[in-house]
Amino acid sequence: MTINPDEIVLFEWGWFKINSTIAFTWLVIFLLTFGSWLVTRRLSSEGELSRWQNLLEVLITGIKTQIREVSRQEPGPYLPFVGTLFIFIALSNILAIVPGYVPPTSSLSTTAALAICVFIAVPVFGIASQGVLNYLKQYLQPTFFMLPFNLIGELSRTLALAVRLYGNMMSGTIIVAILLTITPLLFPVVMQALGLLTGLIQAYIFAILAMVYIASASRAHEEIAKKGEE
Amino acid sequence: MIIDWYTIIFQIINFMILVFLLRRFLYGPVIRAMDEREQKIVQREEVAQDKKEEAEQEQQHYRLKTEELEEKEEEIIENARAEAVKEKRGLLDQARQEVDETRRRWQESFEREKETFTAELRRRIGHQACTVARRCLQDLADARLEELIWAMFLKKLNRLPDQDRSELKKALEAGEDEITLHSAFETGPGRVEEFKEILRDLVPAAGDNLNLDAVTDPGLICGLELDAGGYRVAWNIDSYLQDLEEQVLKEVEQNFPAVSGEAGGKEVPGDDQAGS
Repeated sequence: MTINPDEIVLFEWGWFKINSTIAFTWLVIFLLTFGSWLVTRRLSSEGELSRWQNLLEVLITGIKTQIREVSRQEPGPYLPFVGTLFIFIALSNILAIVPGYVPPTSSLSTTAALAICVFIAVPVFGIASQGVLNYLKQYLQPTFFMLPFNLIGELSRTLALAVRLYGNMMSGTIIVAILLTITPLLFPVVMQALGLLTGLIQAYIFAILAMVYIASASRAHEEIAKKGEE
Repeated sequence: MIIDWYTIIFQIINFMILVFLLRRFLYGPVIRAMDEREQKIVQREEVAQDKKEEAEQEQQHYRLKTEELEEKEEEIIENARAEAVKEKRGLLDQARQEVDETRRRWQESFEREKETFTAELRRRIGHQACTVARRCLQDLADARLEELIWAMFLKKLNRLPDQDRSELKKALEAGEDEITLHSAFETGPGRVEEFKEILRDLVPAAGDNLNLDAVTDPGLICGLELDAGGYRVAWNIDSYLQDLEEQVLKEVEQNFPAVSGEAGGKEVPGDDQAGS
């Protein structure tokens, strides 16, 4: 039994290789893109809505509401990044009930990649909203001596993001695998159902945490701006 | 090794591509559609609001118009009523005037009828009285009524007072040719001679050439009249008729006392009797 899907190599040509993590990621990307294209090529702005359009609108409205509540800012600039994090992780996790499918999120490489994306996105959004100097000043808050701790905090929370998602997903897969050997009937089904719930919760947690980090990086500027207005 | 850097980089790129793709195929179109719908709803609401305001204005307008019409209607009715009252009053006045006029005319005609009736009555009574008297006299004696009247007239002439006699004399002397004897009945030649004799006795100066003209005049009722140059001696039933007439007129007044007070209430009573 293979714990790490990275090690399942499907195709190899010199240094170029396609492992199952990448392959299933592509599958998820394809499903999302193709599904979106199918629904959004025939959007109506009035009258009857198609079910799929309704679903997508509910989803996006929900994400926007969450972003607005967490960041207390307009969700516009953050929606593509945070929304994609949620949708990608959620679909990757939900597909885990399909036999033969290995969720890419159960690979530490994938979760690390996503965490690195967040790690990069935080300063990008921070600098975009309040400038380089103001953003860098945050690391000196409340005093100069806090700089190392701020930096460690930055790194550790990224690591925590990656490991939390990986641990949850990997454990889910492994628990089902182990249970199958012990009690092959019924019990794994319950665990898989639980796995669906865990997967959605993890997707939600990951996206919300990412949003919190980004918001905290760009909120200082908002507060300064508010003070200036007052 | 759990962490495969090759896969990590690959996944980062994959995630970037997914962000781009979803942005292109999911968020963009859906948000655009939602915004468009929202805008359309807002527009529709604005249009609805405009229409509502318009309708309210229209309603207000019509309400004012209705009130105006009601006021006008009341005014018209009021005017009509006033006019009707005026017209009624006018008509009543006119009717009253007409009634008064009719009454006045009726009264006048009644008066006329009464007078006519009275005159007619007087005339008839006279005639009747004469006829009755004549018949009575005829029945009582052989002599005709004329004889009696004649005798009465001659007697009156003989018994003339002295003053009258001298006046008659004077008159006869002055105008011999103009002595006229009016009588209600035919006087025979004997009577004329007899009369001449009497005149000769009265006025001897007249002599034989006394010119007496006998004229029959039915207007004199049962009487005789001597007309001699302005002097006149007469006897007839006129005085008796005068008394009778007074009596009859009194009777008429008593029989129709309230006629002038009751307009149109009765037929004019003289109509039938006047002609009978």
